Amino acid sequence: MATQPIDRFATRLAPETQAAVYNGTKIGHEKRTKMLFDHYADPNQLRRLAGEIKQHVVENLDTYLPAVEARLQANGVKVHWAATAESACNAVLEIMQARGATKMVKAKTMVSEEIELGEFLEARGIEALETDLGEFIVQIDHDHPSHIVKPIIHKNRRQIATSFEQHGLGAYNEEPTVITARARQWMRPKYLGADVALTGANFVSVESGRLVLVTNEGNSRFCLAATKCHIALVGIEKLLPRDRDLALLLNLLGRSGTAQQLTVYTEFITGPKAAGQPDGPEEMHVIFVDNGRTDVLASSCRDILRCIRCGACLNVCPVYRQASGHAYRSVYPGPVGAVLSPLLMGERFPEKADLAKASSLCGACNEVCPVNIPIPDLLLRLRDKAKTEHVHSPGTPPMGAWAILATQPAAWKAALFGGKLIDYLPTKLLPIPPLRAWENTRTIPSWRGGEFRKWLKRRRRKQT
Amino acid sequence: MLNSERPPLTGKRVQLMATCLCDAFHDDVAVATVQVLEHLGCAVDFPEAQTCCGQPAFNGGDWPASRKVLRHTVRTFAGSDPVIVPSGSCAAMLFHGAELEFEHEADLPAVAALGRRTWELADYIVNGLKVSAWPGRYPARVAFHRSCHTRGTLSGESVRTLLKSVAGLELVEFGEGEQCCGFGGTFSVAFPHISSAMGDLKLDFIRASKPDVLASADMSCLMHLGGLAAREGAPIKTVHFVQILRDALVNGGLLAA
Amino acid sequence: MADERDLILGRVKKALAGLPTRAALPDYHGDLAVMRSRIAGRDLAELFAEQLANFTGVTFTDAAELAAHLRTKGWLRGYCDPALWPGLAPHFGAGFTVSTEFDRTRVDDYDFGITRAAGAVAETGTIILADRSTSRRLGALAPWTHVAVVRRSEIFADLAQAVAAMGDDPNIIWCTGPSSTADVEGILIRGVHGPGAQIALIV
Repeated sequence: MATQPIDRFATRLAPETQAAVYNGTKIGHEKRTKMLFDHYADPNQLRRLAGEIKQHVVENLDTYLPAVEARLQANGVKVHWAATAESACNAVLEIMQARGATKMVKAKTMVSEEIELGEFLEARGIEALETDLGEFIVQIDHDHPSHIVKPIIHKNRRQIATSFEQHGLGAYNEEPTVITARARQWMRPKYLGADVALTGANFVSVESGRLVLVTNEGNSRFCLAATKCHIALVGIEKLLPRDRDLALLLNLLGRSGTAQQLTVYTEFITGPKAAGQPDGPEEMHVIFVDNGRTDVLASSCRDILRCIRCGACLNVCPVYRQASGHAYRSVYPGPVGAVLSPLLMGERFPEKADLAKASSLCGACNEVCPVNIPIPDLLLRLRDKAKTEHVHSPGTPPMGAWAILATQPAAWKAALFGGKLIDYLPTKLLPIPPLRAWENTRTIPSWRGGEFRKWLKRRRRKQT
Repeated sequence: MLNSERPPLTGKRVQLMATCLCDAFHDDVAVATVQVLEHLGCAVDFPEAQTCCGQPAFNGGDWPASRKVLRHTVRTFAGSDPVIVPSGSCAAMLFHGAELEFEHEADLPAVAALGRRTWELADYIVNGLKVSAWPGRYPARVAFHRSCHTRGTLSGESVRTLLKSVAGLELVEFGEGEQCCGFGGTFSVAFPHISSAMGDLKLDFIRASKPDVLASADMSCLMHLGGLAAREGAPIKTVHFVQILRDALVNGGLLAA
Repeated sequence: MADERDLILGRVKKALAGLPTRAALPDYHGDLAVMRSRIAGRDLAELFAEQLANFTGVTFTDAAELAAHLRTKGWLRGYCDPALWPGLAPHFGAGFTVSTEFDRTRVDDYDFGITRAAGAVAETGTIILADRSTSRRLGALAPWTHVAVVRRSEIFADLAQAVAAMGDDPNIIWCTGPSSTADVEGILIRGVHGPGAQIALIV
């Protein structure tokens, strides 16, 4: 029987990569759980509340988007809208060209990966340098991030040291402190020589127009201290209604994603620099990006838009830790990606419909999600969608015959008695592909079809 | 809780849903369920026309096929008595999956009504019948695998409560107890490598705690883990928790063998 | 570009049009995520210092002790907010080279930068910086050591209070310890693009 692409990818995964991903995710999950339960009597109550707040936002984006636009403009921020990846890239390009800018420094933003901004700008002679250490390493390696929060969870120090050496960052040295110090030294002149800073935003408060950036390395601060123009790429779903909601969500975000009460730096930005401040952007732009989000919003899986990109679901997912992020062929992997990535494809949904199959529906993701997204339910809906749209799914047995048996009691009972055949026939002769596939790695218990019903009959006879 | 809206229990007449897996492979689990329920004073009815809860097709994405089967199940289990099922995943299908599947169907109310009167077995014993101490003896080291479909319900805790109360039974803990065993329905055959890797990982953790027996509320998980272990030449004894309860009664002279 | 705006907002409207009701915004007590047991009965400055120490941050209440600490560490060249320097200078003495101007062409020539904080949070050991009270963003960020001068009266008990007090400064930064990364095999390293040492001077 054919198997699924993500399963085949897992069979080819190098053991050292699998080990790195397993260790990284396991520790991430265990620390997250310990911290939440140490700090709060009922962290699940907080998750459910945060989920209700974000669901409210998702279902009221028609009100909140114009409201936040007005607020941002009142704060002196220029607001742009980009329906597609291409128009988002062009919006960035136009801002840079208007300034004669050729050098950009980027803080980590998954939206920029989605729209493939780096390649777009490089092709037009603009340097777009990743400043987050993990993303920087991905960039010099021409690799892709494999985790939404820990982009190089799949790499070990030896691989990083080799990359650094190959890219002129010094002789081979795998000491993490040395690697980090080299990145620090190398990046400083780059920040100071850049024209434009690009960031994302973890949240935008509609009430105040505050963009919230959550980081640890100081790279987004440096981008915004050294350059004169700030461009923020923001998915249309990243809103929160009020500043007070920020306190709740920030308390959950760090703990869920990286077992930190707060990341080292939480920046609240309402506009260009203050009047008396010598350093920082004189000009600020927010580009609200759709790129398929309105398709998700129109679907029965719109709850996925609550996601605050913490990565907790990746860290706990038993499938992600076996397959690693690259198996999902998407900017967003893991449980959140299994819902979001196929839907962001719009009409090209069939190309990624298999992602929704790569799950045992264990529900661990929902249990750790700081906004309580019912991911298994959404995966099931996507499986229904794929079947309805006749998307081919290797390895999934057709259910027509089974449905007939299971709605005809007489046929069912006959099958219960007839199934004894599997005890006698070699498996490869069995006309049931799932049974053959099962037997590749597992024994099948002996057939006991009909025995329980016989037992009941015998007892009834004895009682009468 | 996923299944918090349950009608109050009035009496001990129940309907038994044996599950398709037990119907095919694990008759003794169904037998033990009847024996245990009768020991608790229940009158157990087994609607003969029953087949399956519809979960395989539901998980596989063929919701029309699944709905056909679930409709048959609703008709088979007509009435208002509680429906008891020795499977966390079949129970969850009835009180949670079914609602998803029938969201836009006209007969959602009938399906939801069945879901509301469906109890996973341990949940019924502990929270329905209010029995939390189990008589008899079962001297063994028991590792309990809390199956994923009991997440968000009282079933996992209920099984633990019952097992811990059995004389001679030592409930042993093992690492990564919350991680999925890797069965996942059609996942087990469409993603065989990952499914087996998940199962092998879990078996490593279980074996490290040196249990005599591996128990669960779901035979699907046990078929998967037991099947992997046997194929790899290191078989592990697997039982449904209800078989432990029944055997404890037998060992304690409270039930004829 | 107005087309893109209308296109997106039109799609949003259409996507939500079929919903029979819209999920309500829940009401909740602002204190829900506060770690009350940690804060109860504590002196806020003490709690702040204790929490900051969890992230290797060091707190002083005496400028002379601060200067002594910097000297022991060999951090002798610094930048200081001109508004703060007159008050601090007497405690620094010989051996230090401190400038009240920050030269961005020589960022690595400063071992430390001293700037004003706009407040702090005791619950988490967080220092609050704001644009209007930070003399130079780079001065607080680029040197290896950042010294934030915090007014005792501006130490908030918890994050909810800090959020409520934010006002309209265009750039507020919560700093909890020195910059860090765990990108290399999950190993925590301090001192990445920002400071590697965080100090607070409570006045």
